[in-house]
Amino acid sequence: MSRLSALLLLLCSLTLWAGQEILPFEDDAKRQLYQELVQQLRCPQCQNQNIADSNAVVSIDMRNKTYELVQQGHSKQEVIEFMVDRYGNFVHYSPPLNPLTLLLWVLPILLLVLMLWYMLRRRQTVQTAKASNPALEQELDAIIDAYRSKK
Amino acid sequence: MRKWLFFAPLAIFLGVSVFLFTGLFSDPWTRDSALLNRPLPAFDLPDLMQPEQRWNRELLTGEPFLLSVWGVWCPTCKAQLGFMTELKEQGVKVVGLYYPLPVDPAFGDHFSLGQLQRDVQRELAYFGNPYQFNILDENRRLSLDLGVSGSPETFLVDANGKIRMHHVGDINPRVWRQKFEPAFEQLQQVGLAYQGAQP
Repeated sequence: MSRLSALLLLLCSLTLWAGQEILPFEDDAKRQLYQELVQQLRCPQCQNQNIADSNAVVSIDMRNKTYELVQQGHSKQEVIEFMVDRYGNFVHYSPPLNPLTLLLWVLPILLLVLMLWYMLRRRQTVQTAKASNPALEQELDAIIDAYRSKK
Repeated sequence: MRKWLFFAPLAIFLGVSVFLFTGLFSDPWTRDSALLNRPLPAFDLPDLMQPEQRWNRELLTGEPFLLSVWGVWCPTCKAQLGFMTELKEQGVKVVGLYYPLPVDPAFGDHFSLGQLQRDVQRELAYFGNPYQFNILDENRRLSLDLGVSGSPETFLVDANGKIRMHHVGDINPRVWRQKFEPAFEQLQQVGLAYQGAQP
């Protein structure tokens, strides 16, 4: 029995509390904005974690700063600019459109357009091939009909 | 057209291979600091050893120096102290920006300046002391403004207080020779010429 209660006590260990942050917010909009920002800002110390997930010192500091800025009534864009100003574009998960990142943004659209163009062109060549020889077309239709009626 | 298409997969394969191969040797940590060629952010922070002495941006201008972000809790920072002390003996001004770890009162932690001063003194006596002085970055505010993501990190600041170079990781002979030395010597010469021009 005492072993069971000891096991149960393990469930309420301190580490379970450590992950929780209880931050007081005046209203839900600010709380939501804070949550959104810590999800979208990237920890500069860890290679691929947002600051909400990371417990690196720099992430703790960035979360605190984000909280402070949100409490002061700054907008989402202002907080992101504040961080990008210090840590560069690396810190935000959606990179801005500039000459360096142009390829990143344009390549998917370019590929899609190329694919559509290729598909349309193929269809056209098939159709023009069909139209270019009506006599052969008729002959072929006749053969197909004959084959079908045999069955 | 047909022939061209026949070689397309090979071309794509080679392109992707070269791209991924160069990726093997690229360092994901090398990112240019967002503060390059910008002035040091404004600050007002106490000296680590004499807290009544306060430092600000204006007090640091006048000659090029290395601003070294470090802490006694960081082994790499301590490992670089020996080489940086050699640099100091060669006439390089090194200013320390002490990066304290966060303390969480919920876990019974508390910040003790006296304890920190003793720890720093002990480590500097053991590994060497390259620092002209250390600035205590309370709450790591200046580090945040500098875009510091951890320690050790080193900034090269020119005589006008402008950030000229940023390095993540330790300062060792190779990094100094390849990265910092040419820029530092140039900055020093510019500074000397400037001082010589003044009556």
